[in-house]
Amino acid sequence: MSWEGSELTPHMAAQPGDERLRAAILAALTADPQTAACALRVGVLNGIAHLGGAAATAEVWAAAGRIAAAVPGVRGVVNRIEAPGAPCPARAVNLDLPAISEGENRS
Amino acid sequence: MTEVSEPRYQERARHALARVEHFAGLPAHVQAAVAGSAMPRRFAAGQVIYLEGEPAAALYVLEAGWVKAVRLSAEGREQMLLVAGPGEVFGDVAVFAAAPYPGTVVALEPVTAWAIERSAALELAARYPELALVMIRRLGQRVLYFVDLVEDLSLRSVDARLAHTLLGRAEGCGGRLVVPRRGWATFDEMASRLGTVRDVLSRALHTLEAEGLLRVERGAIVILDPAGLAARGQRLQPPNRKWDADERGCTRTNTEENGLLIR
Repeated sequence: MSWEGSELTPHMAAQPGDERLRAAILAALTADPQTAACALRVGVLNGIAHLGGAAATAEVWAAAGRIAAAVPGVRGVVNRIEAPGAPCPARAVNLDLPAISEGENRS
Repeated sequence: MTEVSEPRYQERARHALARVEHFAGLPAHVQAAVAGSAMPRRFAAGQVIYLEGEPAAALYVLEAGWVKAVRLSAEGREQMLLVAGPGEVFGDVAVFAAAPYPGTVVALEPVTAWAIERSAALELAARYPELALVMIRRLGQRVLYFVDLVEDLSLRSVDARLAHTLLGRAEGCGGRLVVPRRGWATFDEMASRLGTVRDVLSRALHTLEAEGLLRVERGAIVILDPAGLAARGQRLQPPNRKWDADERGCTRTNTEENGLLIR
């Protein structure tokens, strides 16, 4: 029995826009000399980028956030990367984002 | 994330898995197969276990420590999905749905967990129907939990949600009913759990205290009137009530500072 490609929950699959954004953010982080050497993790949901992993300095932490935010289509960034002097990754985070309009096509 | 340096970790895995509801009733060979697929993981307090929107690589069984799962709404508002402790499973919904993780999970304190990679979990479920049934039961329970959460968030006021949540967390202690403080039980955490912001939560707590339903002490919240608090917890939103903009968190804040919930 194979579960791969199951059509049981097609509506739960990642939004194409989110998948594309995740790939673009990972590529941008890898291309930037400040963040290329870091083992950073990225998730994207509803156009919001979530960053994890570890950085050596708060400057790299901030750079990763800026790089992700600069990727076209990213609506906001939740930076949970661990770094000295950076906010605790477990903190509660609220962003002030406009709602996605009904007709907005994010795919 | 670091490997646990424990030579007999398969036996430890089986012991940890035995704490999962329904798992202990599985045949020994099934338990052994699951334990053999579980990889030990340790996380420091505050460390991210996985991020929402990441591909679901594994499900986790908690051996020690507490974690929280949160999700950011499309408007940027954080909602706590659940808090899980030893014997709980998380990440399973995304693994079996072939979807990205729907929430971010972070360790609230030092955590030891057992990770079962997605491919291994799917193979085990396909090979052992008894295990698949246990997983279905657990996923069903999770659906019921989220139905309750939806009802809580959509039908109850913040006061009622707070009353409901405090009663659910209360424990008998020295003849009193108290909600003990955990180090991570901050106003922000509770506000996230209740789908509101800390200012609104603070007002709700003071309201319940002023009504004589509870008393906030250093290190604990003492439930003074459990029946009254239960009645308050069942109070639904009046029909056609418009949401208080403040309650919905339209006055959003970047909550970098974490004031303790229980003073």
